[in-house]
Amino acid sequence: MARALSSSAKPNWISQQQFNRWQARRLWARAGLTYAVMLAFAIIFLGPILFATISSVRTDPTAYPPTLNIPQLSPRNWAAAARLGRAGANNRWWGGFAPGADVPFEIIYFVPEGQEPELPEPVVPRRRPGAGLGSVLAIDYAADYATITPVKEIERKTGRFVVRDEELSGQFVTYAFRILYEGDGPEINRLPLDITAPRRQSYARSTLSLSRLERRGRVASYDNVAPGVLGYVLYNYRRTFSEARSITTERSLFLNWVSNSFIIGFAKVLTTLLFASMAGYALARLSFPGKNLIFILILFAQMIPGQVIFISNYLVLRDGIFSLSRLWGQTTLLNSLTGVILSGLVGAGAVFIMKQFFESIPREIEEAAMIDGASQWQRYWNVVLPMARPALGALTILTFQGAWNDFFWPFVVLTTPEDIKTLPIGLLTFRNVYGGTGDWGIILAGAVMSALPIVILFIVFQKYFLEGVSFGGTKG
Amino acid sequence: MFQYTQFAFSHRRKVVTVRIRRQEITAAYLFLAPFLITLLIFFVYATVRAVIFSFSNYNLFNLDPNYSGEDPFRWVGLLNYLNLFKEELFLIALRNSIIFAFIVTSVQTFGALVMAAALNTKIRGLDFFRAAYYMPSITSSVVITLIFMWMYQRRGVFNYLSTQLLSYLPLIAVFFAILLIAQLLQVFIERRRGLPAGWFDPALFVVSFLLALAGTWLLNISGVIVPREIVPVDFIWLQTRQEVPAAFPTFLRAAVPLIAIMIQNIFTTIPTFMLMFLAALQDVPKSQYEAASLDGASPVQQFFYITIPAVQPVTFLVITLGLIGTLQMFDQVAIFGSAVPLRSVITLAFFVYNRMFPGAQTPEVGFAAAAAIFLAALTLLVVLIQRRFIRSEAQ
Repeated sequence: MARALSSSAKPNWISQQQFNRWQARRLWARAGLTYAVMLAFAIIFLGPILFATISSVRTDPTAYPPTLNIPQLSPRNWAAAARLGRAGANNRWWGGFAPGADVPFEIIYFVPEGQEPELPEPVVPRRRPGAGLGSVLAIDYAADYATITPVKEIERKTGRFVVRDEELSGQFVTYAFRILYEGDGPEINRLPLDITAPRRQSYARSTLSLSRLERRGRVASYDNVAPGVLGYVLYNYRRTFSEARSITTERSLFLNWVSNSFIIGFAKVLTTLLFASMAGYALARLSFPGKNLIFILILFAQMIPGQVIFISNYLVLRDGIFSLSRLWGQTTLLNSLTGVILSGLVGAGAVFIMKQFFESIPREIEEAAMIDGASQWQRYWNVVLPMARPALGALTILTFQGAWNDFFWPFVVLTTPEDIKTLPIGLLTFRNVYGGTGDWGIILAGAVMSALPIVILFIVFQKYFLEGVSFGGTKG
Repeated sequence: MFQYTQFAFSHRRKVVTVRIRRQEITAAYLFLAPFLITLLIFFVYATVRAVIFSFSNYNLFNLDPNYSGEDPFRWVGLLNYLNLFKEELFLIALRNSIIFAFIVTSVQTFGALVMAAALNTKIRGLDFFRAAYYMPSITSSVVITLIFMWMYQRRGVFNYLSTQLLSYLPLIAVFFAILLIAQLLQVFIERRRGLPAGWFDPALFVVSFLLALAGTWLLNISGVIVPREIVPVDFIWLQTRQEVPAAFPTFLRAAVPLIAIMIQNIFTTIPTFMLMFLAALQDVPKSQYEAASLDGASPVQQFFYITIPAVQPVTFLVITLGLIGTLQMFDQVAIFGSAVPLRSVITLAFFVYNRMFPGAQTPEVGFAAAAAIFLAALTLLVVLIQRRFIRSEAQ
């Protein structure tokens, strides 16, 4: 903060000390304003991501208006969800509906003056959320095992309530009932509930906040009334794993995509570290004919758009890289992780980074090894490579990030079945399947989870990412 | 190499040197082998094949000896390239790509520079904010695009914020009016007292800001100025063919969904470029700014006469990287997919993909290759122009 406004145009009527104070005030104000501007920018750039993350726990993230006042984030509901989860399956975290369950539930209606309160009708509906992937698979319905005890009125209290923009006086009536799981059967992870209110009775409150009001406010609908804390807050997140299932293997698609992305990411990191450092070492240290041609090729490879090379690369993978893949029994490398990995063993940019790094290591270090009669490989593997740890670290992060976020090439190669896709391509499937019906909860939850590994990497290894900016800067 | 030549007098030594040299070459190529194989198959061979295909009517099937369709393989010369310009969808893609590249590059370059200038101080905590700004750039295009698509829903965040903005417009106007008047008055008084206060004096600005806040709040709770009652904004961002500005000729208009992608793209790239500018700006000596403010230059003048010339090399780099990135924009088009009309967002890169994999129709590989080569040539042209600019700068 050494930027003094060194203008010495001090008027005569104040002392030098006062004038210094006047100037110091400006410096403080300037620092404060800079922080304010920075904070504003941070809100703008992080805002959409943070708000999407918060909204991803809402039952319907597209409900209007967008708000931060979300039932899933209220402690009252957390406590209720834990209690109900315990009652449903003795599991306060993930809830469920297991044999022997006895789930107590209360709902409060407002009944305007001059109207006699009537009992509402609770029903456990036969319903599965989402119209999407794997909805043809059979599941167990809580409806087949649940019994609801008769509804009882337990309390009346007079009060005022706003119904359709009009404040009315009347009474709040509390009704209670229990949902029982009698006899034997499977444990079911969800207990949906619909409560139909008599005409002119308005929903006011219930043990757990409702998921949505249907049929002009007459039906209070709950996705799960025995959720447990996590089952309640992370309802959409659980859906991404449990709902989208492969039709052939019945395995969770999302889980498959995550593991595919990790496999490709790790494989690419390994091959890139090894092959880029080998090539970079040769280019930095050894002299051989054709070196300049290779530099030209590296430059060329970094400039050529993906849309030019994908045509031939698609055909090459289709034919199993000149039928080489028949050696290990694959006739085509399309729709296979091997294909994606083999076609991206090492990038030109990575080789360039390693070459730059090896050139910065003094030659003398190797010469000692050379005199000891170490082979070229030993010099590379035992002497130079251990010194390249910082560069290899940066390369690991950048390669993993690139592989994890890669869209175009997996989009071309991995098309069917759904099981084989990577996370970004899989999320696109989510968008196509669930976006059409406006089911954004599952899409946002999937998006947030797929960003998570990179965000964690970024927070831990920030330095390497910011170095990536300068690496990227040298590309043009 | 010096120590070898020094001792290479005897014949025997020479033989050893030659052998070492040959070993070195072999070792070099062994070290390079995995990289070279990848490079040759997936870049060199691929590019050569794309060029060759672009002169043919190849359609994925007609090179097969058993092919019996009605379109046998033949060379067509430059026909594919000529046909590109007869194809309406290609012309639309070309227009979209150029408008997209032009608008996004100019806005993000200017925005990044202004932001960098605003943040160009060495203060504590800069690293934290740097990390925060960088967050949108590290997440994948799919995640960011999905989040933006969610915000672009008809009852989504964008329309909600627009509604709020319009509804609170009177209050915002009053706020800025008070801010302006308070600042002018204060500067005027300070100057009357002989103190060297500038029009943007930060200490006075803080006071003006608080005054404006208090004034607006008072006017609001006393009921003089209240938010307007308006119908919620229901602007269709995605499923629309609307083009704006409507007064412009067709080739200068951009479809609303394309503008939606522009906003998103600017949002994700500004921070990266801002950090590049910031790095360059921190090397500009502070004394230049001090001298300028002594001479009475306003912050705006300082921005145009000191900041912009100082970061010119970085500006060229940012423009080139921006143009290359935007000309090859593909992901967002693919992710928006069926949620928007194809014609309104199709770009050159997506056109190539679309012809290579046209769903139920026969792929037009030759045609797609021609479009891809055109895209590569366009990119190359941008790089060459930029190189020329930099060279003329250096002289």
